Amino acid sequence: MRRVGIWLFSAVLMLILSACSSNTSTSAPGEQNAAQPQQQPAAEEAKKEPVELVMYSWRPEDKDAYGKFITEFEKQHEHIKVKFRSFKSTEYNTILTNSLTSGTGVDIVQLRPYSGATSIADAGYLLPIDDAKGVKDIPQSYLDAARGSDNKVYGVPLSINSAVIFYNKQLFEENNLQPPTTWDELLQVSQALQQKGIVPIAQAGKAAYLLSIAHSVLGPSAYGGEEYVQKLISGEINLTDAAFKESIKRMKDLEPYFPPDFIAIDDKDAQALFYTGKAAMYINGSYRLETFEKQNPGMPIDILPALAKEKGGETPMINWVDGSYGIAKATKHPEEAKLFIEFLASKEFGQMFSDDLNRLSAIPGVTPKHPLVQKMTQLSEKSMTSYMMLVHFGEGTPTTKTTFEDSLQGLYINKLTVDQVAEAAQASADKWFKPKK
Amino acid sequence: MPVLEKTTEIQPKTSKRKRTNWKKHLVHLFLLPALLFYVWFQVYPIFSAFLNSFFEWNGLRRGEFIGLGNFVRLFTEAPFEETFYRALGHNVIFFIGTVLAKLIVAFLLALLINSKIRGKEFFKTVLFLPKLLSVIVVGFLFSLILNPTYGALNTFLRFIGLEELARPWLGDPNTALYTIILVNGWYGLGFAVLIFLAGLQAIPSEIYDAAKMDGASGFTMLMKMTIPLAMPSIMVMTILTFIGAFETFELIFAMQGSQAGPYFSTDVLATFFYRLAFGSVDGGESIGLGSALAVVLFLMISSATAILLFFFKRKEYEQ
Repeated sequence: MRRVGIWLFSAVLMLILSACSSNTSTSAPGEQNAAQPQQQPAAEEAKKEPVELVMYSWRPEDKDAYGKFITEFEKQHEHIKVKFRSFKSTEYNTILTNSLTSGTGVDIVQLRPYSGATSIADAGYLLPIDDAKGVKDIPQSYLDAARGSDNKVYGVPLSINSAVIFYNKQLFEENNLQPPTTWDELLQVSQALQQKGIVPIAQAGKAAYLLSIAHSVLGPSAYGGEEYVQKLISGEINLTDAAFKESIKRMKDLEPYFPPDFIAIDDKDAQALFYTGKAAMYINGSYRLETFEKQNPGMPIDILPALAKEKGGETPMINWVDGSYGIAKATKHPEEAKLFIEFLASKEFGQMFSDDLNRLSAIPGVTPKHPLVQKMTQLSEKSMTSYMMLVHFGEGTPTTKTTFEDSLQGLYINKLTVDQVAEAAQASADKWFKPKK
Repeated sequence: MPVLEKTTEIQPKTSKRKRTNWKKHLVHLFLLPALLFYVWFQVYPIFSAFLNSFFEWNGLRRGEFIGLGNFVRLFTEAPFEETFYRALGHNVIFFIGTVLAKLIVAFLLALLINSKIRGKEFFKTVLFLPKLLSVIVVGFLFSLILNPTYGALNTFLRFIGLEELARPWLGDPNTALYTIILVNGWYGLGFAVLIFLAGLQAIPSEIYDAAKMDGASGFTMLMKMTIPLAMPSIMVMTILTFIGAFETFELIFAMQGSQAGPYFSTDVLATFFYRLAFGSVDGGESIGLGSALAVVLFLMISSATAILLFFFKRKEYEQ
């Protein structure tokens, strides 16, 4: 009996020791990486050993396209395999936070733009990539979306998104309507469409972020373009300014032209209303072009930029960098991860990305193939302003952008007034926003 | 000499006792793996939340020790203060609603099944079926059923000519929370019925026979005998419902997302915690504030559960 006891004790002890020793072996690769320069020949061999990189993304819909891009990369680097793991956009941040804090599971990280990337970089979970091939050729304003507070670059910007009004050309032509460029024209067109039994704007309100995207496109009709944004970020005016309040009021004024009970419907339902021809317009990021062409390939779609303040005035494209790819500091394969990042920063990838996903690449020298993406580029060259809430008001707990869009939801269910929406957004900004003089 | 003899007699006994003691302690080693597992996955996260709540956090980076700073912010600073009390109110409504929609209905159904009706097993199975589904699946299915555009419920109401009753169940702040409470009640009904049924079946039938002979009416028997004697199962279900109502998250998250819309009309403490600790799509997380809220939630649930237990135990003794 005593012997059995000793055996059991030894077994438990062995279990504990083996657990400890496996910990030691997990930390070993990191040490090996640090020692790599001194062991060149061995390292050369090790490089050829099969390596698997795991990349995280919040775009499950891009899985097929990434399969193609990754195959191209793997052809060039036969010993590296890249596993694309995508998660639902709304759950991505939580999953990524858990992976980064535990230091396991991910090598290539898709980073939210601007403050999203900065907070992760500042927490020390990323490797700087300033010296990666191709990064220095990317415009500085795009790299700003993936910088840490130390001004180092932590991500390769992926694409430029534009907030646009998609419209069904056929429905407009059949009803002899001209695409609107001003607020008054939008109201007239919406009334005419409604009279014909067509939902004028397929807007969803269940996810509040869709409301702030819509506001970014409609708002310039009340406050103008980049000049106004500069006044706001320099502190000359704030979010309780009359023109900004007017832009909020216009959001509310447009409610009769949204689908019934729009505050209860998902974006997917709104998309379906548009691509099935039940709705004439749909406001969202340019990334939805791919969705519509997949769902209804023959659909005659066109896009409109933000509305002008007055007839013949500026119609700016509302642009922002939509995420970037960085390297997790805890990766066991930093060299291979860097090779992949350099591939993402190459013109070759940028062109494939633009062609396959109908998106505007952030990589210089990429010529969009899709006529609508070309149109977006041309419109951006003509007049452009940033997605103000995301680029300049994306900080705070909760972020000012989140506060603003949640308050817009409150406006639609009559819990808040226009003034209260503006005041809530400004109160949030007051906690952290420092005007850029 | 006799003394020496005595000691030689005692010696083997002592060593045997020592060996027995050692063996007794060896048994504790068998608990070690489970204990390690428990400490690592249960005690450490709670301890870690306590610890995190006393620090300032800049995104994912832990900053300085700030004592009760996060707690002070949570209860005094806008918008946290307002959000906290609104969410707490919704938790209370959730508890009361679940007691009404689930516990009372489940108790009545258990009484019915416990009586001499046909197909008892069938009803038990049918009522328990929803519990076999994942709560996320239930949330998703009901989101489809309640969809204002093509949902089955509104389509049915329109079909039978009750169009005026069709509404955006989850999009109207006046109905959203109550709709989720009803879905939650439907989901957990079968489990509550089984617990109540077990309690009812434990009551000896002789007591009812004696009461009937004394001329007690059905209602008197229910109030004076059935409910008091089923008190242990009522106690268990009330405490479980209380804990469930204050921890509720999955169903609201599945049906309304972490924003618990429209405009926080379905926001409860757990969804508020999720937003604080993990932020939204655009960031804005604060692990310090989130941890402080987790600690408050832990203290609230544990102390209220202790009070409820004390109250029920006293009731039991009184009877």
